[in-house]
Amino acid sequence: MATNTATNSEQLNVQVMDLLAGVSTHGDQHLAEVERDLVQMNTLLDEAIKKLCSSFMAIHTAVGKQQEAMGSMLSADLSVTDYAARLEATQSEIKLHVGAAVTGLQFQDMTSQLMGRMAQHLTGLRDVFGEIDASDTALPESSHEALLEKLNLISGRVSARLSEHEDGVRKSVNQHHMESGDIELF
Amino acid sequence: MAKTILTVDDSGSLRQMLSFSLRDAGYAVIEAVDGLDGLAKAKQHTVDLVLTDQNMPGMDGLSLIKALRAMQNYETVPILMLTTETGSDIKAMGKAAGANGWLVKPFDPARLTEVVGKLIG
Repeated sequence: MATNTATNSEQLNVQVMDLLAGVSTHGDQHLAEVERDLVQMNTLLDEAIKKLCSSFMAIHTAVGKQQEAMGSMLSADLSVTDYAARLEATQSEIKLHVGAAVTGLQFQDMTSQLMGRMAQHLTGLRDVFGEIDASDTALPESSHEALLEKLNLISGRVSARLSEHEDGVRKSVNQHHMESGDIELF
Repeated sequence: MAKTILTVDDSGSLRQMLSFSLRDAGYAVIEAVDGLDGLAKAKQHTVDLVLTDQNMPGMDGLSLIKALRAMQNYETVPILMLTTETGSDIKAMGKAAGANGWLVKPFDPARLTEVVGKLIG
């Protein structure tokens, strides 16, 4: 009888440790993914904002040059031909900076995908904790066998929830920079 | 008459950037918010090129390409994927579905219009 109780306690102990280890390991994995996504998002936002600031200032400078050239033409220091040449040069310059700004402005698409993925990870964690916390999982006090059975049931449900989320959370954004991406024609 | 490009992306800001860049290069643009909307707009209009995202709610880019390629009017219309996806597996799936090219986000307007120009002039 004493040996049976010891065996039951050991089994119970193993079961509880397995359950806790499962929750802890998967919880850590979800949080590590969230942490990585946050770092990536921060890098993308940082680069996008720097790119946009730089483009904005460059556009401002180019427009200033245009105004300066126009002023020179009006005060007869610059011929119409020279003015037209300067205008063309600054327009090309502006186009280049506007292009860089358009590339930088695309951060929202990538960061929103990363945020969506983080939300999925957090939902996964909430579901796992909710599964453990559910009212119908109150542990029975009647016997070790009943307790073991109940723990097995909880472990099974938690594992099922975890694998559901692992299957559903795929990484679709691998960009770490706001430089324009590769182009491949088939 | 300006060539017409159908852009399909669930991101409003991305659609805005695409329309700005393509219109600036002289193209007419029709916007669709996801694959299903893209398919509906493709049926309503005559389109010279389709530019689609991959990950969208409802119908994704690969499914849209397959559906378009099954339509007689779209058997030969150039279709480009514009996506954050970079994996070789998904690229191969895109090619098998009938995509003519794969562009990784973020896009540079000059490079985008150069590629579009190569395909439809």
